Amino acid sequence: MAQIIKERLDKFVLSAKDRPKAEFSEIGLVGCGRVGQQIAILIAKRGMNIIFVELNKAKIEQAFREIEEELDRQISHWGLTQSEKRAILSRIRGTTDYKELKNCDLVIETVLAKTRGQALEFHEEILTKIEQNVSRNTIIATNSATLSITEMASKLKYPDRCITMHISTASREATLVEVARSIYTSEETCRNVRKFVILLGKDYIRVAESTGLVSVRVFAPIINEACDILMESVASIENIDFAARKSMLLPLGPFELADKIGIDKIVRWLDNMYDEFGEKRYKASPILRRLLRAGFLGRKTGRGFYFYDNKGHKTGVAYKHVITPPEE
Amino acid sequence: MKILVLNSGSSSIKFQLIDTQTHQVLAKGVAERIGIKGSRIKYNRPNQPEVHFEGDILDHQIAIEYILTILKSEEYGVVKDLKEIEAVGHRVVHGGEKFKQSVLITDEVIKQIEIVSDLAPLHNPANLKGIYAISALLPQVPQVAVFDTAFHQTMPKHSYMYAIPYSLYNLYKIRRYGFHGTSHKYVSHKAAEFLNVPYEKQKIISLHLGNGASAAAIKFGESVDTSMGMTPLEGLIMGTRSGDLDVGAFVYILRKEQITPQVGSILLNKHSGVLGISGISPDMREIEQAAADGNERAKLALDMYAYRVKKYIGAYTAAMNGLDILIFTGGIGENSVLIRKMVCDELSYLGIKLDYDKNQQAIGKQAIISSDDSQVKVLVIPTNEELMIALDTEKIVSNN
Repeated sequence: MAQIIKERLDKFVLSAKDRPKAEFSEIGLVGCGRVGQQIAILIAKRGMNIIFVELNKAKIEQAFREIEEELDRQISHWGLTQSEKRAILSRIRGTTDYKELKNCDLVIETVLAKTRGQALEFHEEILTKIEQNVSRNTIIATNSATLSITEMASKLKYPDRCITMHISTASREATLVEVARSIYTSEETCRNVRKFVILLGKDYIRVAESTGLVSVRVFAPIINEACDILMESVASIENIDFAARKSMLLPLGPFELADKIGIDKIVRWLDNMYDEFGEKRYKASPILRRLLRAGFLGRKTGRGFYFYDNKGHKTGVAYKHVITPPEE
Repeated sequence: MKILVLNSGSSSIKFQLIDTQTHQVLAKGVAERIGIKGSRIKYNRPNQPEVHFEGDILDHQIAIEYILTILKSEEYGVVKDLKEIEAVGHRVVHGGEKFKQSVLITDEVIKQIEIVSDLAPLHNPANLKGIYAISALLPQVPQVAVFDTAFHQTMPKHSYMYAIPYSLYNLYKIRRYGFHGTSHKYVSHKAAEFLNVPYEKQKIISLHLGNGASAAAIKFGESVDTSMGMTPLEGLIMGTRSGDLDVGAFVYILRKEQITPQVGSILLNKHSGVLGISGISPDMREIEQAAADGNERAKLALDMYAYRVKKYIGAYTAAMNGLDILIFTGGIGENSVLIRKMVCDELSYLGIKLDYDKNQQAIGKQAIISSDDSQVKVLVIPTNEELMIALDTEKIVSNN
């Protein structure tokens, strides 16, 4: 093979006119749990680089392992090819150091606070850490649907660059991104986030800052209601799911959806909405709390309303720990 | 005339600077990963080492700006002044029903291409970006659009319509368009020229067998049928595409595998074809090797591939009431001795007889591979879409 000469492209410009800046080439993620992983995959799929921050090396390794498992699942379901998987993985990096976010054009936080009481402070702290390590123009977004971005951003030096960008990850095929601005958010930030959503190939809607936005506020109470129906022994878990699927043509029933999203997340959503609106319909059902306390969080822990094998396939219904009264 | 030929994809631009007088490629290359980190331009000139230009390429316009600068640069250039580039020819994938031949690009033409973009959402918008960029950078240079679909616009209605409610044709222009038109046009002309027979009097089947694959029936100089349809999925078996498939089976797969139509489309476009059957590779060379090593699924893939092509030859011979010339082109058509043999064997009823020695010799070069007593002339013609685009561009620019 003949030799290849390497050259710098920037020596070859017709004119010295200012170049437009590439707006989104590197995206930061803080938190790379299940939601963060989904977001990382869909951004990397569109050719952008991802750098995610996790707490320690073990968490980084776990995130990569789970990302790879998810990509393999997509391949076995025909949605992806091996070479696309390699390309996606090559664009994702993990770190424990916030400093590595310095070149990011956009940083999205996707963390879930350990307890409900700490949530706001916890998120404020994360946003502040992000701000300390990125440039003035970097957009900082939260993926949270139930925390107020105005509140979270108020401690920042430049809150005009903060925004809520809730990317639906309940299903691989979900395409909705809800964008809500805070009181401080600049028009430019909104415009750029819209561009980013279009670049992702997703459907953009602008909503007012409001706990639960649209998607969470519509669906979390449905899950709660399904729990009430179950407690009243109106129908079995499978039949409630079956009814929802067959009558409204939803792809998943409420319990299947809850298991998929994660019981911990559903409860947190409901709690936040209950705090905000004070209405009973947002009060998390005792069934959800029971599952949460037991650590039966759905697919990711192998059981929730249903049992799952390690590939995430449903293997049966989990009656006992959900509703059966104690025996003598 | 020196003509720049551009083939703009969503994140890449292939380019060639062609001298139409000598048919020589003065320089060619590809700008890759446009708008993505790690972009570069690979650049080649005859008898010169390859050059890789590395740096950020933020959009199509900047890519083309770099390309132009390189073409006239002192170190690597092939022109002294950009004025030497007299016209730019663009490959445009979908011309819908509007464009029956290549056209000089005007504001009106751009508007029309935008309208038909709906039919090729992955390709046309990228093609348009190349056009916008040249309009901005070389506003005085005439541009020509050469459509992949245009050559097939001569198909009669009974061959391009699908037997579905007519209202869908009226509403959305659902019909067969066909692709690879530039290639089929080029090789069929070239074949007639090579055999020294009048193009307008021949019945030709052209087989473009590459990564994508299609057959075209060309009767008396006009495409009367082609195997690709509304999208490049229909027809022959390809590297990763299924080709013809019962839509009933598709719907059944969606239900059984619980996947969306979008994922189903990926299944048929990227996981099927030779790759899907063999489970080995979409690359025919690897399949041939595996089959030679005794792999049953690779053998099956070869058999199915050749059989599908053979079926189309039979169908198109019937459609034209005869056959004079059969052409193989594209990566597989030009290089695979085995596939050509498998396709042509047992076609003596149609008057096709291969000369095995000639077939063996004809690798990547123009040649007759049928025996002297074969009624049908079987040819290998290397395709050259870029040259065809350059020649079309020259013709249109000269006439204006």
